[in-house]
Amino acid sequence: MKTFDIVRRAGRSLKHAKARTILTSLAIAVGAFTLTLAIAAGEGARQYADTLLSTNIDPQILAIAKDKSFFEGGQSGPQEYNPDISLMARPAGGSAVKLLSQADIDSIATRSDIDSVSPSFVINASYITRPNQKKYTVDVTQYDKGVTKTVIAGELPPLRTSIKDDQIALPEEYVSLLGFASAEQAIGKSVTINLERTPNPTPAEIQAALTQGVAALQNLGVTESKAVTYTVVAVVGKSATSLTASSNVQVSDAAAKSLSEFSTQGTSSFQKYVIATASVKEGVDPAVVKEALVKEGYGVQTAKDLQGLLFTIVNILQGIVIGFGVLALITSVFGIINTQYISVLERTREIGLMKALGMRGRHVSRLFQFEAAWIGFLGGTIGSVVAVVAGIALNPWITSILTLGEGNYLLVFQPIPILALVVVLMLIAMLAGYFPARKAARLDPIEALRTE
Amino acid sequence: MIEVRGLTKTYGKKDTAFKALDDINFVIPDGASVAIVGKSGSGKSTLMHAMSGLDRPERGEVVVDGVDILTLKRKAVDSFRSEKIGFIFQAFFVQANESSFENVALPLEIATLSAAVRKKRVEAALRVVGLSDKEKQKARNLSGGQKQRLAIARAIVNNPRIIFADEPTGNLDTVTGATIEKLLFGLNKKGGSTLVIVTHDEELAAKCDMKIYIKDGMIEKIIGGAK
Repeated sequence: MKTFDIVRRAGRSLKHAKARTILTSLAIAVGAFTLTLAIAAGEGARQYADTLLSTNIDPQILAIAKDKSFFEGGQSGPQEYNPDISLMARPAGGSAVKLLSQADIDSIATRSDIDSVSPSFVINASYITRPNQKKYTVDVTQYDKGVTKTVIAGELPPLRTSIKDDQIALPEEYVSLLGFASAEQAIGKSVTINLERTPNPTPAEIQAALTQGVAALQNLGVTESKAVTYTVVAVVGKSATSLTASSNVQVSDAAAKSLSEFSTQGTSSFQKYVIATASVKEGVDPAVVKEALVKEGYGVQTAKDLQGLLFTIVNILQGIVIGFGVLALITSVFGIINTQYISVLERTREIGLMKALGMRGRHVSRLFQFEAAWIGFLGGTIGSVVAVVAGIALNPWITSILTLGEGNYLLVFQPIPILALVVVLMLIAMLAGYFPARKAARLDPIEALRTE
Repeated sequence: MIEVRGLTKTYGKKDTAFKALDDINFVIPDGASVAIVGKSGSGKSTLMHAMSGLDRPERGEVVVDGVDILTLKRKAVDSFRSEKIGFIFQAFFVQANESSFENVALPLEIATLSAAVRKKRVEAALRVVGLSDKEKQKARNLSGGQKQRLAIARAIVNNPRIIFADEPTGNLDTVTGATIEKLLFGLNKKGGSTLVIVTHDEELAAKCDMKIYIKDGMIEKIIGGAK
């Protein structure tokens, strides 16, 4: 019997047992539904992460640490002492990270493939204020040239360009705290950052004070403070497609450096940095620069690496959902086996007749396997179509619930994975139909056609 | 020509062994109509199964057109049945869900004929049995006599050398039975295929050229035929 004719007969047999066919395929449809959504959600999440990174992060940016262990959780256990290498304990404890020195920064800066490099400064600011207003605690960081920000008022320079040294970018929440009527009102106004440090007198200063008497000596112990005034250039807010939702006040690199060095002067962390950000020259592949820096012993991450990290998380979540879909499929496999066994029993006569008429056992077996494949096809199609329809209908709602931002959808359906899924389901159904089909193929026509 | 030589079939083992067929010998000339007559349990059905290659007796030969079908491989036996044998059963065994056309097309599909050839042959066969107008009807909607005519169409559609009819009128009333008989014998006379009827009905047997009487697995007597 020709395969085409077998497929046709298989389809007709199923049509004659509509209720059973549909119920059996619904079990597969549940699995197909779950899997289609899982695939769509995974794809959507990857696309979202991609959009997020590509619109927010300068692809030429590198994050550089003293050694690669930084990106792997830091050094653990006691390390050999080396005066040239500083270690900083992490707040989590247990591990420490090697720090970059000013020499490291300078040597990276001299590279021909690097545009600029700036370490991330640690700034211990006491408070922010402006005349006739209260003082508020504040986190000051340097302006991140590589990340797009949501500007509520004022204006920020384009990517890869920094704000000026006397400017400051203010988070939205400080607007009312500092007594501005609106974000627009704050633009161009002055705010003051105040820093304090415990004095760290040099031997020469102590010597000098000793000669000047008690007052001078006491003076050495007084807490020093420094106040710097900046002009507000922009007010930044939080957005769905922005990676930085922090409430940090941002100043230029040079300003950050001077603020940081004021508080670290005389301490062991003076000009020591956990991490630095380098901007690779346009036209140079960041991955190549990364490789060169890694050879020198630095730990480096590109924007792509960050993407990979996000994708790993997405993949794990997607894997979990797929697991549930597979469970549903396993259940439906038993459904198919059961249905097909019943079908073989019901159609003993028909099988006997076909074999008496010279149909080969192999073809009888194929007839039942194709029936199972049809069930798989039907289930897969029902499940994926329902998933696509439901997904498209629910997408706007999901977007608003998860605040993904206009035009971003969690569920992204692509035809090829869905087609592949249906084909795989057909194969699985055929496998499930194997045992019933074998039973049919082995049926003895004489027994099957016995009437008395 | 069908030659049956020394056919022996035993069911069970040693102590409980039961000879369904015991050294059966006969020759059927081409185009003859033959009745295999016997009571139920006499072994006449087993004989038919052996002659059509459905069953394999442990001893003996069934030579059809010079080939002993009992020595053939399974695949060859399948194509032998597909090409040279037609079956008609007491209980019709038509596929109730399928249309008349699909019922008759089944042997041709098994013989891997193209759809165009199938259409022509099926229509011809349905015309012969007078069911042309029922081509698209589901078999379940046919009467008993129509079902048996459909089964006859299915049996003759591939122009077989031999048609086996197992109690073809057993489930039919006398009038319908008579039309079926007429149809079968008419086809036998015209078409040249050998007709083998398995029956316990003496009246039906009397209409055949050759009668083989079976009793307890042995030939009781043979009336008519070549030798």
